[in-house]
This record gives sequence, structure tokens and C-alpha cells, in this order.
Amino acid sequence: MEAIATEMNIQMEQALENIQKLTDNIETVIRGKRTQIQFILTALLAKGHILIEDNPGTGKTVMAKTLAKSISGLHHAGGADFKRIQFTPDLLPMDLIGSHIFDDIKKEFIFKKGPLFCNVLLADEINRASPKVQSALLECMAENQITMGDVTYPLERLFFTIATQNPVEMEGTYPLPAAQLDRFFLKIYFGYVDETTELNIYKDYLGIQSNLEHIQQVLSMDEILFLQDEAEKVFIHDEIIAAVRNIVTETRRHPDIVLGASTRSGITFLKCLKAFALVNGRTFVTEDDIQIITQAVLDHRLIYRNREAKQKALSNILEKEMSRLSKLKLEY
Amino acid sequence: MRIGRIHSYKKVIAQLLLLALPTAALMYYDFWDANRFFSILQNDWLLQGSYFLAGLALSTVFYSYRFRFITTAAVLAVILLLAYKLLGALVVTEFGFLITIQFYIFCAIFCAAWMVGYGFSRARWFTILWSILLLVVQVLIVSKTAEIKATALIGAFLPVLAYAVYIIYTAELIRNMNEDGAGFGWFIGKRMIGFAVVLALLLAGTFTYFQQDFKAIEKEWGGMQPDYNKKGNSESMTKQDKDGTIKNKDQTRLTGSLNKGKRLVFVAKLDNFLPDGITPNPLYFTAYYYTKFDTLTQTFEMDTAHMPSNDLFKPDPSKIPLYFTRTDSTVIKNTHATLNRKVVNADVYKVLLSPSEYLAPSTAFSCQPIGVPREYQQQYASAYRAKMWVSDLNSAYFIYNPAGNKSLEDFQKQRFDILRRIKDFQGLDKTFYDYYTFMPNNEEYKKITALAKQITANAQTPIDKMLAIRNYFLSKDEFGQPLFKYSDNPGIPGIPSASKLSYFLFENRKGYCAYYAGATLFMLRALGIPSRLAAGFLTIDRSSKNPGWYWFYEDQAHAWVQAYFPGYGWMDFDTTIPDVNTQQASQPDQTPPLDMQQVYLVADGEVTNVDTVGKLVQMKVKNLLYHDQNYTTNTTLDLSTDASRATVSADTATVPLSALKKGMHITAASYAAVLKNIEATAKDSMLSIFKKIPNPVPVDEIKIIEKDEAKKLNKKEQLAASKPIDWVKMMWASLAAVATFILLLFLTPYFIWVYYNSRAKRNNGNARLAAFNKYRAASYYLNQLGYSRAMMGPQQYALQTDEQFGTRFSPFIAIYQKAKYSSSSLTPREEEIVAHFYNDFITQVDKNVPFKTRFNRFLNIYNTIGYFSQPK
Repeated sequence: MEAIATEMNIQMEQALENIQKLTDNIETVIRGKRTQIQFILTALLAKGHILIEDNPGTGKTVMAKTLAKSISGLHHAGGADFKRIQFTPDLLPMDLIGSHIFDDIKKEFIFKKGPLFCNVLLADEINRASPKVQSALLECMAENQITMGDVTYPLERLFFTIATQNPVEMEGTYPLPAAQLDRFFLKIYFGYVDETTELNIYKDYLGIQSNLEHIQQVLSMDEILFLQDEAEKVFIHDEIIAAVRNIVTETRRHPDIVLGASTRSGITFLKCLKAFALVNGRTFVTEDDIQIITQAVLDHRLIYRNREAKQKALSNILEKEMSRLSKLKLEY
Repeated sequence: MRIGRIHSYKKVIAQLLLLALPTAALMYYDFWDANRFFSILQNDWLLQGSYFLAGLALSTVFYSYRFRFITTAAVLAVILLLAYKLLGALVVTEFGFLITIQFYIFCAIFCAAWMVGYGFSRARWFTILWSILLLVVQVLIVSKTAEIKATALIGAFLPVLAYAVYIIYTAELIRNMNEDGAGFGWFIGKRMIGFAVVLALLLAGTFTYFQQDFKAIEKEWGGMQPDYNKKGNSESMTKQDKDGTIKNKDQTRLTGSLNKGKRLVFVAKLDNFLPDGITPNPLYFTAYYYTKFDTLTQTFEMDTAHMPSNDLFKPDPSKIPLYFTRTDSTVIKNTHATLNRKVVNADVYKVLLSPSEYLAPSTAFSCQPIGVPREYQQQYASAYRAKMWVSDLNSAYFIYNPAGNKSLEDFQKQRFDILRRIKDFQGLDKTFYDYYTFMPNNEEYKKITALAKQITANAQTPIDKMLAIRNYFLSKDEFGQPLFKYSDNPGIPGIPSASKLSYFLFENRKGYCAYYAGATLFMLRALGIPSRLAAGFLTIDRSSKNPGWYWFYEDQAHAWVQAYFPGYGWMDFDTTIPDVNTQQASQPDQTPPLDMQQVYLVADGEVTNVDTVGKLVQMKVKNLLYHDQNYTTNTTLDLSTDASRATVSADTATVPLSALKKGMHITAASYAAVLKNIEATAKDSMLSIFKKIPNPVPVDEIKIIEKDEAKKLNKKEQLAASKPIDWVKMMWASLAAVATFILLLFLTPYFIWVYYNSRAKRNNGNARLAAFNKYRAASYYLNQLGYSRAMMGPQQYALQTDEQFGTRFSPFIAIYQKAKYSSSSLTPREEEIVAHFYNDFITQVDKNVPFKTRFNRFLNIYNTIGYFSQPK
């Protein structure tokens, strides 16, 4: 037992080192957004996808590009396969998944893969596309494969979607239905950087561009896949699991919440917690992790009674649970 | 068809338990109260309350389903109507009428309760309406009550008021609660407990602060009048008990008018005669001494607690076994009188006088209930013999003109001559003298003092002063008209708060006994003569037929002055000028009862068996009177009595033999001639007497002695009345309690800190537990100092703390989190950090927060509450 535990620890150390490398690497380009970087890595390591909601020009695309470039892929020397799709109202599902094209030479239809067949996908302004396209994308995200006719095409082993959307209040958007939002492990707000960082960004404007050009490939795809496996090994205490259970069930009871979190959300929550702990360089989940990611994991899955409730309900539930955890005296 | 529910079963249960049950409880009480008030013979409150409960409970459950009211109520009405008709047709016996009436009552109550249940279930504002209705009904009932006492008022309103607050609160609580939520019972329960505590505090507070006011209200409005209808600013000297009997009041108030009845209260035989042995010397019959005057309410009151040398003997004759004697010789000692004394007997035959009342000329020291002769039992309810330690010099004759009666004139002259030997009150006990000459010290009483000195300017001795005051009341003004008049309706001064005594003495000069007695009292006290007020009945010798027999009517209830003469004791002086009406009897006096029968045997004990056919009563005897000899045993002896000729009587009424029940305490008396010749010798014991006398022994009189429970309660009341609670002490005690409580409250945060701190400093080798204790102490300390964690996670909190105080909380928190949630154990390095963290942390925080701030914050209990409570 002892030997196994030790070996596992060594592997963990390797993993923690890698994550640190990746984070630092991204931070050379994206400044003052450590939390957001951590969230994105969390979603990556939890084998999930992430939805970033914010105004245009806050660095979403650069973020996705940087991440993709930091991973050395198999396909070509430019790192992991990175694709970007700008969603528009006239976009069709075929534009995403690809289509069958008649091959004159072979006299048969061959499948021309669409942009979905990549490692890191940036789905820009996902809420501008029609629901048909949205659902096609989200299905792929869930199944990790595409079925055309009677042939099933698996997606890449590492398939990570960073979707962005404009705040739903903006014109010309199709809000994603709750069931589809559920596919995203996390939904984060990118936000503007603080004023000092903003000034630095302006000053280093050209520098950043060149940083992005010259970004190093710090991790291989295999290492990322290894990290994903490691994330599942993160220790999670029974009390933390209980706390997640409490938060999830409490959302169903809360008078201001019309639609509470599902059991699937709970499982996603636990996966995210583990990944987040790993991203933070820990081999165990703490209450801090819950405190930080609950909003990102659950907020987009809930339907609130009104705008006011949106601001308060979840933090109320969280506060209660955190208060319980902080005073918890475990059996030692 | 499924009928939908309006309320969940939890809500219905809550309604039944928290609304219906208390309502029914109140209705039980109200029915009982109303039945008692309307003097309904068969007090069926239990049954009626149950009807109400049934209607209420059924209706509450019924209307928790989706039924409409009008249709369902109509169906109910039709069913009840049909049942009523059917019952009327079926029942043909002579009691049928009664049964249908019963059913009628049932219907009325049931329907009312049905509607109330509907209201509780459906109508939101119904509880308010319902409370108002109950209060209005209560006001109506109270407004019709003759006797308003504070206790009665409280008894009438308190339950309804408390209920009203409760029901409105609870109904709203039940309406607003979320019965699907977990901990529903606890939700209701804790609010109920909170409510009860608040209500109890409120009530206790009200009683404590307004007790004086309640008493004042009672004095202002209380009191039973002989015409039992008038109330308000009038007074009577007697009061009526619930059973219609009369007793003297233990206080009297100066008011605008006096109510008097004309009924016969009691008849007494008093064997007190002038030295010539023929002329009866009547004595006033005393019930109470009033030694205290409440200037605020203008009321004379008893003051048994502080009265020095209490010589009032006040037994309850109804609780003394027949023919047994209760004596209290301390009263004789307390009169401090030795000269010209003799023992006098008085036999009192009660007509309207309360069975528990004891009246006798002062100073009585013995009470022996006696049997009323058979032929007079319709007329007189009960009787007792009293023995008094009476002065030769005392007499009811003082103000009445004894002119024409030589022996009376001589007697008056002689006794005043003897009393003139008392020149002053030197040598009297100081406490005693000060108490009985106490006067309120204000302008009113200075005026009275001046008047007293002016009237008695020529008098040297106390008795002469007394006579001067009498003469002043009898004097004529410059027009030859009497200066003072007797009036039952003297009116009141125009200024409500003005002293009624001054008004009487200086302006109005009209009044009834209490005015004359009160004025005399203060004039005597102004002159330094110890005096007090006595209340009871004035004795008028009207009968030349039966010397020594006196008749007492309601209008003879009286108050007069007693003055103290060292050696001779208390003397009755009545300065009330004659009221012509009282002199004449309102009805011709009847023949008095015969003299007391010679009783040979009196057995006192418990009934063991009653044979109503053979008219035999078996009893266990504890005490025996045989030929005036008293025998007692430690064990009890069985005695069989032949009750065929016996009259059985309870307190006021004659009852059949079948009323005797096993275990009752009775006294059986025998006048049988058979026993006359069977005399007892000195050697005889109770057992040997029982062997001598016939078995079963014939008895003539059986009296049921009530259990002492009521008496005990009275004693308690007396105790409460005689030992007034020391409010100042109470106030200090409660202040001290509150102060202690507040101090403890303020110190609680500190105590908790001391505990946590000590735990944090202890090192028991378990690194994880140590980390927990340190974390707890540190976070409690920060929280108490006002740096609460609020919405932050532990690490975030720690970082902020470190930033603020320069501590190293953050690394510790990381380790603590690891200790708490990780599966792996702490490394030695981490354990070291844990071990060294705490003291440095506290020192660092203390360095950054001034002592004064820390001190203030540690007094703040809210921080502590915030620390321990769950966020809302």
C-alpha cells in the first residue's frame, strides 16, 4: 500500500509541475487573468468544455489560441490542432461537422471533415447561431463523436471546446436552452483586467502579439491526456462530497430557484472540483475549491425566479454550506 | 371522484393542535364561566365544551378539503333539523322536552363551532374578527357582574386577551409556513416557545407594574352592596358571598353613599348584664379592626401584619367540629388588660351570616359551634358559642341617651369616673403607642389636629376628651340646628382628590358611621390617645321580652372607634350620631331559640359505613366529648350510631342521610336521655365509654365538616395579604439578576475565547486535532475582533488577514485544509508550521489591533452570535 501511495505521489508531483508550466506559459500572454486561466484548465482537465460569457474584446480568443499553441500536437508543428468557428445566424450544421463530397476519381462520396475535428475548438459567439447549429455542436461535445449516415467518426482524443457568447441581453442572440448549457462544465466571465494590468497591456501591445507568435509548446498532447487521468485521482473527502450534495439539493429547494441543479450537475461539479484542486497544485479538494468554482459550475444550470434572485440565491446556498464546512470538526 | 385538498395534512394537524385545541380550551373556560354567571343549575360546561370541540375539529378537517361553505353548511343544517324533528317525534316521555332542549343546545354550539372551524381553515382575517367577538362577549358579561374585583376582571379578560393575541399570531404563522420544508415541527415549535416566553414576560411585567393599579381599581369599583345592583361611588359595611350569605368586609372606604339592606343577619344571646343583674349591657359585635388608613383611596384597612398586640380572634366556625372548642388565649394576653374583667358568653345563631364568619364582642378568645334546636333549624342555619374577655366598663351605650333609665345613667357615670383615673399614656410600649397614634402628616390632618385641640381645650383626661368629641358631634350651631347630621348619602367633595374627612368635618358635616368613626379616630390620635377603628355590628337592645337577646339586621353593620385605656384595654366608643331608622327593627323580632340543649356525647371522626335503610352510621372516632369531658386516642375507635332521629347538616343546609359518604369528616352529637345517667368516671377511657353506652348509640345531630382545602387556600391568601411582598427588595434582586445576566452576556465571548485559546495552546500530539484547535481559536479571535469571514473561502480570508496584520495565516490555512480534507498525513515540516503558528499569530494580531478596540469588540455578543449562527 505504502509503495503504491508513494508512486502515486510522484506522478502527482509530475502532474503539478506540468500544470504549473502550462499556467505560467499562458500567463506570459494573458495577463491578470489567473483565475480564468485556472478555470479553463479545470474544464480541460475535467474532460469538459467551457463557456465564456463576456463582451467582445476581453481576450477570449487570444486565450483559446494561447492554450492551443501551448500544447504540442501530433498533427503539425504548430501545436495542438486549433480551430475557430465564428458563429453566425446563417451557419449550418454541415459547416461544423463537415459533409460528404463526391469524389470524381473514386466515383464515391467521401467525408470531408469539418472544423470540429480538432483538439481545441474556439466556438465564437455561440449564441449568434441558430438553435439547430448550437445543438449539433453540443451533441458532438457530449458524445465526442459524429455520426453521418451509418458511419461514426470519432473526434480527437483531446477535444476541448471553448465557446464564447455575448451577454444574452445583446441583440441578435439565441439564448442557449438550459439543457444545452448543461453540457458546459463551467461558465465563466472573462471580465476586464484591473487598471494597472490594462496599462501594461497597452504598453506591451506589440509584445503580446509577439509573445503569442513565439509561444512555447510546453506540454505534449499525451501529457495533457495524462493530466486528465491524474485529475481523476485527486482525493476528495466524504465531507466535500456531502457538501456538493447539499448545495445541489438545496438549489432544488430554494424558493427563488425555479429549476435546480441535476444529479449530472453534481457529478460534473465533483469532476471540476478534482480538476480545480489539481490546477491549484493540490492532490486533495478543499473548501476553498468549492467556494471558488460553485458559481462557475452551477450558475448557468439554474433558472431563477427573477434577476434579483440570480444575484443572491446561489451565494446564499453557498454561504450556508461554507459556514457549515468551516466549523466542521472531523474525527481525528 | 377525488376531492382535492386545500391544506396539507401537516397544516391540518397544526390547525387542530394549535388553533382548535386552544380555542376549545378557552371555550371550556368560557362555558364554565357563563354557566356560573347565569347560575345555570346544571353546569354542563364539560359537555358544551366538548360539543364545541367536536364541531371545531370536524369543521377544520372537513374544510381542509375543497368543499364549499354555503352548500355544505346548508346540508348540515338540514341534517340537524331533521334529527331535531325526529327526536321530537320519537321521545314521548316526560323528559323528552329536556332531551330536545339538550339537542337544541348541541345544535347551536355545534353550528357555531362549525363556522369557527371554517373561518380558521379558510378566512384569513377571521381570527381577528373572532377575537373581537369573544372580547365583546366578555365585556358584556363583565358589565353585568355585580362584584367587580381585580381578580375577577383578570379572570374574565386575561384568558381572552391572551387567547386573542395567540390565535392571531398562530393562525398567521400556520398560514405563512412552508409545510413542505424540512423541520416543519421545529419551525412552529420554536416560534411557539418564543411566543410563550414573550407572552409570559409581558404578563409578568404587567402584573408587577400595575398591581397597585389593579388594587386601586378593585377599591374604586369593588364591593358588594346590600341592594346588589348599585355600584361605583358607594360603599357598604357588609359583603355578600357567592352562596348569598353575608359577612363584614375587611376594609371600608369613605364614599359618597352607603347602601344598606334590611334583612336579618343573625341573632345573638349575650349574657352581659349591668351590676344590677337585670339590665342587659349590650356590646358591639366586632368582626375586624381597621388600623390602617389608605389616604389615596380613603379606605380603612386591616393591617394584621404590622398591628402590634394583635387581639383579633378570627376562627372559621364551619371548620370546627360541632361542640368542639377552639380557643386562642394569646388574644387575651394581647389586650394587656387586667382590670374589671370577666368572661362573657355569647351564642350566635346565624341567619344570613356566612357560615365561616365569626363575630363576637371584643375580646373573644373561644369558639364552639353548637347545634341549633330542631324546631329552629328552618330559621337558623348554624350557631356557635363565643367566649369573650370583657371589661365591665365596656358598653354599647355611649352616645345613646340613657335618660330615664336610672341604672343606665348610674352605669355611665360610674364607668366614666373609673376611666378618669387614666390621665396619660406613660409607660405604654412605644411601638404600640406610636402605631396607634400614627397620623398622616399633611395639611388636612393638621387642620383636624387643630380642631381636636380646640374642641377638647377644657378636657383634662382622655375620657373627657373622648366625651368632648362626642359632644362636638352632638352640638348645635348658632341657629339651634344640629351641627352634624347622619346621612347615608353624604355626597363627595367637588374636588375628587380632596380629603373626604376634611370635607366631612369642615364643610358638609353629613355622613355615615365610617365618617364619624374616621374623624373621631384622627382627632383622638391627634390628641395622643391610642385608638383604632372596629367594624362589625352595632347592638341595640330593643327587646324587653327576652333580655340578653339581640337581633342584628343588615343596616346594623357598623364601624366605630376603640380607644385604649391602660389596664382596662380597648373600649368601644361610637360617635356616630343616631340614625333614627336603625333604632327601629325593620321587622318584629321573633322568638329566640331555646337555650342550648344539654349535649351528652359528641363524636368526631370519619364515616366508615352508612346504612341508609337501617339508618345506621359507622364511624371511626378520633375525638370524643362525653359529659363535657374530652377524650382522644392515638388510634381511632369504631362507633356505631343510630341516626334514625338525627338531622344531618352541611354548612348551610340540612341534607339527607344518603349525602353521607365513606371517608367524610363528621361530628355526631347526642342529646339522648339514655346517656344522661351513664356517667363517666375519671378512670374511663374512650374505649370503656364505648363499652358502657348503648350500641348503636342514638344521635340527634350529624354535621358534615368540610375538608380543610378551602381553608388552606384562604390561609395562603391571608399570608399573601398579611406579608406584602417587599417590592424594593424585589426590585433590587431583579436588578441584580438582570445585571448579572447582562454581565454574563458580555463576558460570554471572552469565556468562549478562553476555552478555545486553552485548547489551541494544548499540544496533545495529534497534529490534525492541533491544527483544528488552532484554526478554530484563530478564526474565532479574528471574528470577535470584527474581521469576519463573510463570503470568503478560508484561503482568501487567510490572505486578506495576512495582508492586514502581517501574519502567516495563509500557509497555516493551507496545511489545515490538508489536514482536514487530504488522505495523506502532514509532513514534519508542516507539523512544525502548525506548532509555531498560533502564538505568533495572536501576538501579531494583538500588535495591530489596539487593546481598547479589542476590549470593545470582545464585549460585542453579536460577533459571537454571528460566528456560531448559520447564515440566513
